[in-house]
Amino acid sequence: TTASPRPWRLFGAMCLLRLPRITQPLEKEEEEVAALMGQIELEKSHYSDHEMRKLEEEEQLRRRKESMFDDDEAPGKTVIMAQDLEDKWEQKLLQFKAAPRITDADKKNNRKSLNRRLDNNLLLLVKQKIGNQELWLLPQVEWQPGETLRSTAERAMAMFLGDHIEAKILGNAPYGIYKYKFPKAIRTEHNVGAKVFFFKAFLQSSDLSQAELKEDYLWVTKDELGDYLKSEYLKKVNRFLLD
Amino acid sequence: TSSKSVSPHALCSFSFSSWLPRSVPFRGGHWQGSVLAFRASLPVRAQPKKKKKVDVRREQAQKDRMKKKIKKLEKAAPELIPIEDFVAPLKYSDSNRVRSLPPLSFEETERRVLLLKKWCLFKQKQDEAEKKAIQTLVEAQQEALEELRLESEELYQAAIRRDEGLFPFERDGPDYTPPIPGYDPPEGKCMDITKVYTQ
Repeated sequence: TTASPRPWRLFGAMCLLRLPRITQPLEKEEEEVAALMGQIELEKSHYSDHEMRKLEEEEQLRRRKESMFDDDEAPGKTVIMAQDLEDKWEQKLLQFKAAPRITDADKKNNRKSLNRRLDNNLLLLVKQKIGNQELWLLPQVEWQPGETLRSTAERAMAMFLGDHIEAKILGNAPYGIYKYKFPKAIRTEHNVGAKVFFFKAFLQSSDLSQAELKEDYLWVTKDELGDYLKSEYLKKVNRFLLD
Repeated sequence: TSSKSVSPHALCSFSFSSWLPRSVPFRGGHWQGSVLAFRASLPVRAQPKKKKKVDVRREQAQKDRMKKKIKKLEKAAPELIPIEDFVAPLKYSDSNRVRSLPPLSFEETERRVLLLKKWCLFKQKQDEAEKKAIQTLVEAQQEALEELRLESEELYQAAIRRDEGLFPFERDGPDYTPPIPGYDPPEGKCMDITKVYTQ
């Protein structure tokens, strides 16, 4: 096949997402309705075995307090009351400390850490040199003839994060495209502009200690993208990113 | 002579291996015969010659009867396995188990109805937003594929090829709190007491 000069240069870019680790907080309506559902369930339910036992024991205690003749009925028996069991369980629960939902990285706003904003998707941004500008972009690399665009995107990811990244790429097809024309100074008949094809991948491994991150990088959420990306680029990227 | 007196009952309960040579003159009775003919002296019931045919016939008849019974059981429709979740055990329908709560006030019922209506609207908006997001996703992808096709047919064909390694896709859902690094869960034993029914 003859290598016809392409007016558009092709780039493959990888949109690497770290999926959320904790659930998002409930909206106000969701919380109200959840409380209501709990209330209705309680009203429609019957007493369980544990509650029956508790009620009976309360009855017994009350009767014993009112009339003092029951003292010789239960002399040496050490009976465990249902209330005691409940207290014991409560104590055991309090002993367990769960990890906090808002981590240290959140408090310091360390945008390089993966432990930030655990309830959102985190996206990888790197600083790359395009023309004579240093821009924040999704990692991209030029396409070389002989490879598919997906492998271009994989190469871009490997270039910035090293080879030992476990990421699940979602399919062979690109998710979005950003087309731009070169500034008039560089533009020629055969080199009009560039097309950047975006591919999406989910990060599987949670520790990136082995990754050799050479350039400047950031992990940001969708709403923080506006701080870094240019408006046209941002518009195209926002189309294929779900909240 | 032996120091102990051995009763005839004790003699006949001796096993052959523990037969003492000294107690030979103490044979219990007429049925002892000789020591070597111990087995032959027991009464024999069946006649040895007719044993084979009659028993074979009887055994075959028994087998046929069993087969007929099995066929009858198999023809009957298989019993339905009861779904234990759908049947409330009888002990929970006792009247003393009914919860005693104060009846709902008018304001409470009103509040509930209004809350459910607000919920309906909230869910509708949420659903619409989701559908719109998926629509933009699909449109963006179509646009990208069109541009790719304009560029090169070969790359386009490679892009629309099905990705075999994508499905089955598995992922653990998010929890309420993040995992504690280096957490050692307490030891415990899980005993499965579900009833398994066979048809």
